[in-house]
Amino acid sequence: MARGRLRAANVPPPVSDNTVTEAAKRFEMPGPVRSALVLGLIYIFLVGVSSLEAGIKIMGQDTQESLFSAAGNPIAALCIGILGTVLVQSSSASTSVIVGLVASGALGVDDAVPMVMGANIGTTVTNTLVSLGHIRQSAEFRRAFAAATVHDFFNVLAVTILLPVELATGLISNTAEWISERLVGSAGTEWKSPIKAWVKEPVSWIKDLWDALGTSGNVQGIFVVITGLIIILLALTFITRNMRQLVADRVERSVNAMLSRGGGTVALVLGLLITIAVQSSSITTSILIPLAGAGVIALRNAYPVTLGANVGTTITALLASLAASSPESLTVALAHTTFNVIGIFLLYIIPIARDVPIYGAEKLADLAVERRTMAVAYVAVAFIVLPLIGIALLG
Amino acid sequence: MVLEFFRGSSGDGEFEHIITRSIAMLADARHSFDLATLALLTKAEPGTVAEDIRQTDERINLAEQELRSELVVHVSVKGGADIGTVLGFTLLLKKIERIGDQAKNILELSENNVTLAGTPEAEGLLAERSVLSSLFAEAGELLATSEVEDAALDDFGSRIDELTARYQAEIDGFMSSDRPGREVVPLAIYYRYLRRIAANLLGVVRTSSDPVPHLDYLEDGTVDTDD
Repeated sequence: MARGRLRAANVPPPVSDNTVTEAAKRFEMPGPVRSALVLGLIYIFLVGVSSLEAGIKIMGQDTQESLFSAAGNPIAALCIGILGTVLVQSSSASTSVIVGLVASGALGVDDAVPMVMGANIGTTVTNTLVSLGHIRQSAEFRRAFAAATVHDFFNVLAVTILLPVELATGLISNTAEWISERLVGSAGTEWKSPIKAWVKEPVSWIKDLWDALGTSGNVQGIFVVITGLIIILLALTFITRNMRQLVADRVERSVNAMLSRGGGTVALVLGLLITIAVQSSSITTSILIPLAGAGVIALRNAYPVTLGANVGTTITALLASLAASSPESLTVALAHTTFNVIGIFLLYIIPIARDVPIYGAEKLADLAVERRTMAVAYVAVAFIVLPLIGIALLG
Repeated sequence: MVLEFFRGSSGDGEFEHIITRSIAMLADARHSFDLATLALLTKAEPGTVAEDIRQTDERINLAEQELRSELVVHVSVKGGADIGTVLGFTLLLKKIERIGDQAKNILELSENNVTLAGTPEAEGLLAERSVLSSLFAEAGELLATSEVEDAALDDFGSRIDELTARYQAEIDGFMSSDRPGREVVPLAIYYRYLRRIAANLLGVVRTSSDPVPHLDYLEDGTVDTDD
């Protein structure tokens, strides 16, 4: 009789685990099939974005205005972006929804830009929650919490600098609009997106379904919107899950290469590539937290990976804008990318500024280790209480 | 380096790379053992091998740290499904690293002007050295084999058990010897290192097949093979 290698032989799993392992082996999907599945899911995701746009359009103008009146105040819009992203735990999902809303005309570009900035902040809650898993081990928790909150510090600082600049000069939206005009035409025109045409048929099936169920007007619009939201969230969840399986080996290899020989720029580019591949910055940054906690990656090296992830996650909204019919939706998606790229120039390329988020994260981690309840309070206040207060007071 | 992301799979198993580097570490540990024992058992000048042994030890230490990082990355990226394997590899790497340290400890005996060359035991110790050195190669081969026969593992284990029992008997004999301390103390210490190296070699091989909770323990945990 032969005994297996480490891979197969260590710690025979309990019976229930064996069953799971056997089941997993039975359903192990070949790479090409999984790739085809991801393409199908991207199509379904685009149907979801287009349904969202169609649902809003079904609603009357008055309903649209009353629904999104809160977004008229930029701080309230920022808070909506934070809270919405915290709720769905994905900036890819929330920014795709924002793109869909802009495409429908219910939300203007000026209102949407603070929202995507808020989405940037909201998405960092996931890795901060992951870092709380290390709370019982002081040294580990200090490193993990600092690695998680350096992302928060970057995003909050970027918003603190760029939101007033945007409100005063329109720097981000004008830049995005300039690029958008060169790609698909001027604002206010109808953009003949080929992808929009491909998803038209399934969207009409959704409308027909709710029609057949006896809905009409605003009620039908609400149901079509809800259907679109569910499709977006489910499709993104499965895209992320399958892409993670597809690229896990590449991610592992490239993280190892980065740890052994990589500098800041390499880390940034790898953060970007991994996030584009898995369609989720939360996945990228959440992989980093256990590595930082174990001391495998230093805070200074983890920081550029999170910045790459910030830019990489904007690809989903860009993808969503392909299913929309107005150039404004592409403008908003590009504004998300532009915001993150300018943020990197301001807070990473400039050496003195680079240290600010790192210093802030280290100090916050020291405080969190001294008072563990403060770490939990930080998550609750920064990501839920403050945005709620912002919406209540200014919305 | 960024291109690493786009490179296709090497086609190797997930942990083949770790096994390959572990075998290289074991070869390095054997190199250190051969040189250190040569300095102690012959008239070779310790200074001529010290630098080589220290550089080899640094290489083993660095490899252990790099591979540990890779194992943490594996768990972070792919989740806890392979946690038993990862823990097993962590123990395996530590055992090889300890062998490297013990070879360095033998060198330190020579550097403290201890020599066993010309003693009545020298010839037997040189023969013992060859036996133990060849077991490094056997351990590497067992580590490289994807499916190890039980018989091969049991044979390796029983030979190591015989060796460690003999080394312990030698140590016990020196403890109650009437010979001067300056003669028997270095011999007892040397045998102690040999015993530890042999036990670690067995640990390396067993780590590759035994369940992590029972590693280094036999008879339902009552016998500690690692002491």
